[in-house]
Amino acid sequence: MSALKMMIVVARKELMDGMRDRRAIYTLIFSSLFGPALIAFMFTQLAGQERAAQEIQIPITGRANGPLLVHWLEQQPGVQVVDGPAKAEAAVRDRSQEFVLVIEKEFAEKFRDSRPAPVQLVSDSTRQSSRPKVKRLESLLNRFNSQMGALRLMARGVSPLVASALKIEDVEISNAAQRAATIFSFIPLFLIAAAFSAGMQIATDATAGERERFSLEPLLINPVPRWQLVGGKWLAAAVAAIVGMAGTLVITAYALSRMSLEDLGVRFHLGVAECLLVFAAVVPMALVAPAVQIYLACFAKTFKEAQSYMAYVLLAAMLPGLLSTFYPITDRPWMRPLPLLGQYILATDILSGKIPSPLAFVGSAAFGIAAAVLFLWLATRLFYSEKIIFGR
Amino acid sequence: MIRTEHLKKHFGNVVAVEDVSFSAADGTVTGLLGPNGAGKTTSLRMMYGLVKPDTGSIQIDGHDAVANPLAAQACLGVLPDQSGLYPRLTPREHIRYFANLQGVTGDELEGRMQSWLEVLDLKSVADRRVGGFSHGERTKVALARALIHNPRNILLDEPTNGLDVVSTRAVREVIRRLKAEKRCVVFSSHVMQEVSALCDRIVVIARGRVVAEGTAEELLASTGRTTLEDAFVTLVGPRGEAA
Repeated sequence: MSALKMMIVVARKELMDGMRDRRAIYTLIFSSLFGPALIAFMFTQLAGQERAAQEIQIPITGRANGPLLVHWLEQQPGVQVVDGPAKAEAAVRDRSQEFVLVIEKEFAEKFRDSRPAPVQLVSDSTRQSSRPKVKRLESLLNRFNSQMGALRLMARGVSPLVASALKIEDVEISNAAQRAATIFSFIPLFLIAAAFSAGMQIATDATAGERERFSLEPLLINPVPRWQLVGGKWLAAAVAAIVGMAGTLVITAYALSRMSLEDLGVRFHLGVAECLLVFAAVVPMALVAPAVQIYLACFAKTFKEAQSYMAYVLLAAMLPGLLSTFYPITDRPWMRPLPLLGQYILATDILSGKIPSPLAFVGSAAFGIAAAVLFLWLATRLFYSEKIIFGR
Repeated sequence: MIRTEHLKKHFGNVVAVEDVSFSAADGTVTGLLGPNGAGKTTSLRMMYGLVKPDTGSIQIDGHDAVANPLAAQACLGVLPDQSGLYPRLTPREHIRYFANLQGVTGDELEGRMQSWLEVLDLKSVADRRVGGFSHGERTKVALARALIHNPRNILLDEPTNGLDVVSTRAVREVIRRLKAEKRCVVFSSHVMQEVSALCDRIVVIARGRVVAEGTAEELLASTGRTTLEDAFVTLVGPRGEAA
């Protein structure tokens, strides 16, 4: 029998064995659903906040001090004015209010004299969720400010245009669009997680599990070169990793297609073509991850011991991606060939709307496969160690 | 046909096998008899290619098991020390997996599997996962999976250790059958009755060395004892140490 056929014989057995292991099934399902669920949750939250910002309830302390301002605010679409708490700062601090507008006593008097009339906008800038609302209120106040100013100038026979030194054109990338882009950047991270968690059970059961059950000895008595046995075990884990990754991607795309991302200012669309590109970019990870796991799990005497190693491997694999959400990775040429990092950058490119060159795909795949082969070679060497075969 | 010459193996400072030479002919059952820790399992592991001897040579049907273990393994059926089954697979799946690894597939495999399941009385449990099997059932599954490719040489490491009477009889039955089919059977044991009941030739191993070799009668004659147990104790020493 050819080497490939042998590897398929081994892989078929490991997959059958794995499919009967409830833990393996649960990890596969969990790893495919966790990422998409979190991404969908974050987008729903973001959309909710945006909607909440459009419909804003403004608590005003000292309403009676500035009836004109209160009336003007009430005229604005989506605005509802309510009575604010007596102690504005305390209310924001103890979080009973997100923000409070305070109209001070001398407001009416100063407003009448065309002097700047004092208002306080009390808010806590560390509170993410209140930010869009505070921004909306600020822009409302600015509009009131410039409208009143213009009216006063006109009353004095001066063109309001004189007071406008600048003509500001509004081309801001909205806060929501930026945050939507951040959420998109989580997708490659969840794909890494899927690659490492989906094949983990098979990778550990086929190595440390074999040692624990003393089944490695009878297996190695068969006249099959050990690299083919290792290769078959890797093939099984890689199939699981690929399924987990594809599942994550498809479910994410489906979840996103059910949301109206355009409202959040997201121009990128994760359609079939984009999914295929991302999949092509990250598939080498599903080849590397099981190879690393198989190699490391060989050192463990029991399945449980191996599992504890795998947690660290997963963490280490996600670290570059996690860090990059805080400290954006500047894409340097030396990063491209690195397994995981290379695929991560490639996927991030595609998700931000850039189409990498075919060479980038081929390169990342070639380096990924080389890394997988290296770890499989190291694992095969361990399969010759008498300590590993019999060591307890 | 198995021939070993001057096998030697040490692990760290411990010498597991000092000097083991013997040969086992086709159509005979050869027993490796020795106390626990005498080096029987290590000797067998060298023969089936999982432990490399420090020095010495092993020929299995003319194949050099040290230089070319895969060729030697293809002529071997082995029941190791531990049955090492996969709890989530059924006996049929175990047998099919190892048959495929040995290159046996299709109708040939299914036919042979059916007859082994019958011989070993495993038919009623053939499609159940082995996770809940008794020790006897496990040993029988491991035996069927080791013999599915019709090997000419069979190595059994303490095959009846811990088995109940019925399972022991089934294993003995298989050994007799293999002998009748002119195959070469080597099994290890520390149980005298076992060896005397089945073996044509006995190789007594103690402290990593072959201390005596021959038929039961020859061993009795050479030691001047009347029972095999006395002969064994004379050969390996009262504390299991060779004189």
